[in-house]
Amino acid sequence: MVGVALSRWTMTYFAVALVALLVAECLMAAGFGYPAVAAGAPETLALVHIISIGWLSLLMCGALFQFVPVLVASPLHDSSLPLPTLGCLVAGLIVLLLGFLKLGGEIDLEFSYFPVAAALLSLGFALVLWNLGRTLWAARPLPLPARFVVVGLFSAAATVSLGATFALVLGGTSNGTLLNIASLGLPIHIAAGLGGWLTCTAIGVSYRLLAMFMLAPDLDGPTARGALYSGAVALAVAVVGGVVAIFAGGNLAAVLGAAGLLGLLAVVLYGRDVLFLYRARKRRKIELNSRMAGLALVNLAMATTLIIVLLGAGKFEHHVAAVVFLVAFGWLTGLGLSKLYKIIPFLTWLECYGPIIGKAPTPRVQDLVTENRAIKWFVLYFFAVWAATAALFLEAPMAFRGAAAAMLIATIGIVVQLVMSRRLVDVKAALRLPDGVRKPRLLFSRAP
Amino acid sequence: MQTTFVDVDVRPILRAGGEPFEKIMEAVNALGPGQGLRLFATFKPTPLLHVLDSKGFTHEAKELDGGEWEVLFSPSGAPSKNENPASAAAGPDSPWPEPMTHLDNRDLDPPEPLVRILATTESMQPGEVLSALLCREPLFLFPELAKRGHSWRGGFEPDGKTYKVLVRIGEHSGSAA
Repeated sequence: MVGVALSRWTMTYFAVALVALLVAECLMAAGFGYPAVAAGAPETLALVHIISIGWLSLLMCGALFQFVPVLVASPLHDSSLPLPTLGCLVAGLIVLLLGFLKLGGEIDLEFSYFPVAAALLSLGFALVLWNLGRTLWAARPLPLPARFVVVGLFSAAATVSLGATFALVLGGTSNGTLLNIASLGLPIHIAAGLGGWLTCTAIGVSYRLLAMFMLAPDLDGPTARGALYSGAVALAVAVVGGVVAIFAGGNLAAVLGAAGLLGLLAVVLYGRDVLFLYRARKRRKIELNSRMAGLALVNLAMATTLIIVLLGAGKFEHHVAAVVFLVAFGWLTGLGLSKLYKIIPFLTWLECYGPIIGKAPTPRVQDLVTENRAIKWFVLYFFAVWAATAALFLEAPMAFRGAAAAMLIATIGIVVQLVMSRRLVDVKAALRLPDGVRKPRLLFSRAP
Repeated sequence: MQTTFVDVDVRPILRAGGEPFEKIMEAVNALGPGQGLRLFATFKPTPLLHVLDSKGFTHEAKELDGGEWEVLFSPSGAPSKNENPASAAAGPDSPWPEPMTHLDNRDLDPPEPLVRILATTESMQPGEVLSALLCREPLFLFPELAKRGHSWRGGFEPDGKTYKVLVRIGEHSGSAA
């Protein structure tokens, strides 16, 4: 019967993550990285890691430190660790980016960038896994959404291990085994990162958050279990089978194809459950965050369909960048931004007005946002993502830069809305700061 | 030291719509040194796990057929963490008066259930009890109750869908916190 305290540094994670997203969009609009240069070029790798570590992973970590305790009804194992964890991750990312810039000849300073980056990022993610893992372990047996998170955490471990291997190779190691993994392991790294760590975890958390915010029943039925098991097996096949195939000289493409089919099954089952949640909700008037999350889910379905069609036509490899882009920005970023639009006002409201509820009049959570103003930025964002995806398919780099600029403008618009809700700008002055209420700090929550 | 377990089966009470908390606490208080409790329930008694954890028991929960649960509570040897609890565990084993006020918050949008419960507690006297029905465990409510010096007990009803929470108003109620 413990309660769940506000996670003190979750807002800090969100803020750093949003800065990384804006930086990545600026770079894309400026023509930095793919498609102006090759997908494997150092500039592209720098861009990809700003998005995958700086934006998506930090967003996910911040959300998990707040919501894993909600999923399992137990407090976080160690609430003092998230801040040093963030420090390791950000420092590791910066050193990694410098390493890529050095590789591309853009900076000229001798330093062991890649080994240091590998050490810092491994330490940071190890702290994430330790803290969340201990929290989950103490709460066994786990409810279904938390089990998706467990699969996601295992995938994160696999992603980071492979990434550290690549970094050591880029740093100049001549160990044959590591070279072998580095030369062939990239698809496994991407599958474990995007498919396992980010998508599987997002699916697990969304099962609970969609039900919570729309007043729908919590799902624990055969389809949800099916999605969990097929997703977990898909990732095990991709990671374990893939590494075995590399060492044994087996057919890596066949292994990844089998994993992909299982992954598709998981997404289809999850899609059925999500449709059920939207239909079974008690809350008839559906808030902006749930409508926009719906668009993100449409993007997941579109990406899934595209993968099937492209594989069928034998053109997947040619268009893999466009599909990865749609997964990263249409699905994961779309879901992330739409859920932030609920989570930030909700946590801010709780932090600010929780202590005086019942003692003085307080605003409602919805009074912290103005959906009519925010919706245009979300609509612009999703249209821009679709345009950018189309530009990648059509191999039109200038059109891609234009679409990326539109994404940047839309994201700035959304970030401004998030900051305004955190600063209580939309709350009527009479209700904004009753006695006993302090204005929340922008970048962290007050100690409970 | 080998732990021996005393069996308590609260499934008949739960099926009859009753509240087995008192009976479980009686059994826990009657345990001798080195004795543990084997509890049978019709659902996983999550809130109870935390209550007994604070009394120095570790637990091992196992799902049986038909969604029923068997939980083994073993004395951990550690002294109980909340010898002088200010909130949640405040005298969990002493009987509480019948609730004065009943709220049905099952159809409210979050966070309205939390708002209504906190607002209602402000108009009640110390020692009085409020009962509320919710459609999920109100995890964000508990820290606010603790800050206000109230104690609470809660758990899912036998249907597994309705969460019932009882709040007993603490001595600090009414003071400007």
